[in-house]
Amino acid sequence: MTGHFHPYHLVDQSPWPLTAAIGAFGLTAGLVKGFHNSNFNLCFIGLFIIILTMFQWWRDVSREGTLQGLHTNAVEFGLRWGMILFILSEVLFFFSFFWAFFHSSLSPTIELGSCWPPVGVDAFNPFQVPLLNTAVLLASGVTVTWAHHSLIESNFNETSYALLLTVMLGIYFTILQVFEYYQAPFSIADSVYGSTFFVATGFHGLHVIIGTTFLLICLFRHTLNHFSSNHHFGFEAAAWYWHFVDVVWLFLFVSIYWWGSCLFSM
Amino acid sequence: MAATLISRNSMSLVRRSVIISAIRTKGTMPSGADHATGLEKKELLAKAAGNENPFDMRVIKRNAGTKDTPNQIPSIFDKRLVGCICEEEATCVTWMWLYKGEPRRCECGHWFKLVEAKGL
Repeated sequence: MTGHFHPYHLVDQSPWPLTAAIGAFGLTAGLVKGFHNSNFNLCFIGLFIIILTMFQWWRDVSREGTLQGLHTNAVEFGLRWGMILFILSEVLFFFSFFWAFFHSSLSPTIELGSCWPPVGVDAFNPFQVPLLNTAVLLASGVTVTWAHHSLIESNFNETSYALLLTVMLGIYFTILQVFEYYQAPFSIADSVYGSTFFVATGFHGLHVIIGTTFLLICLFRHTLNHFSSNHHFGFEAAAWYWHFVDVVWLFLFVSIYWWGSCLFSM
Repeated sequence: MAATLISRNSMSLVRRSVIISAIRTKGTMPSGADHATGLEKKELLAKAAGNENPFDMRVIKRNAGTKDTPNQIPSIFDKRLVGCICEEEATCVTWMWLYKGEPRRCECGHWFKLVEAKGL
C-alpha cells in the first residue's frame, strides 16, 4: 500500500498538551496562592511553562505546515473554522463586559449618585489620548491590509515593511494605554465605574499585546520565507485577530470612553 | 542543575528556530506548488493536472452498473461498506458490504466491484 488515501493530518504524539496542562494548573493555583499570601513565585513558574509550551507547540505546527507539507486544503479548512470559532468565543467574552457596563451605567444606582459617571469620578477626556489610540488602531488596520496585499502579490520587501509598521503601531497603542493607566485619576476599586472600565480596557489591552505578538511571529516567519502568495493562513489568522481587536476598541471608545464620560443623571 | 538544563535547552531551541527557513530568494517569493512540499504539493500538482478529487473524497456517481461493467469501488482494505441510492426518489440509502473478488448486486439491480485504491 503506497500513497496517501486521505487529506487529513493525523498528528504525531506530542508532550505539549501535558506541559500546557501543568503550566495552566501552576498558573491558576499560583494566582490563588499569591492572592492568599502575596507570593507569586508559583504563578510565574506556571506562566513560564505556558509560554515555553506555546512557543514549542506553535513552532511544531508551523513546521508541520511549512516544512512537512501536511496542511492540505482540507486541513486548512479546519484551521480556518477553528480560528473563526475562537474569535466568536472572544466576541462573547467581551460582550459580557459590555453587558456589565451598560447594566450599571444605564440606570446608575443611588449609591453612585444616580448619575454616570458616578459622583466623584473624573473620567478621561475621550478626545485626547483615546482618540489618538483610535487613529493608531485604524491606521494599523490599513497597514495590515497593505501587508496582506503585498503578500498576495509576492512582494517580499513591502510585506516586511507593512508588517513591521503594524507591529510598531500595536506597540505604540500599548505604550499610550500604559501612560493612560498611570495618569488615571480613578482606580479599579473606584465604584462600578472603575471596575467595568479597567476590566474591559484591561482585557482589550491584553488582547492587543497578544495580537501584536501574533503579528510579530508572522513577521519572523515571513523573513524565513514560510509564506507563499496563496498559502499563508498563519498571517491571515493574525490579521483576522487584529481586526477583531480593532473593532472591540471602537466599541470601547464609543461606549465607555465617549458615551460613558458624558454626564447624565436619572 | 535544573537551571543549567533549562537554559541549555532553551538556547538550543533558539538556535534551532533560526535555521527552519524555507528557501530564500531575494525580494520575491515563490508561489503555490513551488513553495509547497509533501502531501500539500502532491495535492496541488494533482489539481493542476486536472484531478479535482485527488483523495477520492466525493460521492461516487453510479454508472450503468451491469454485470459486465460493474461500478468500481476503490478501497485500501479487503472490504468496503457501500451505500447505494437505488433511485433518485429513494428515501433511504441501501447499505451492503462489498468484498474483494466478489462483485455484488444491490437489490435495485446495480452491480458493484471492489478495486484497489491507488491513493495520491
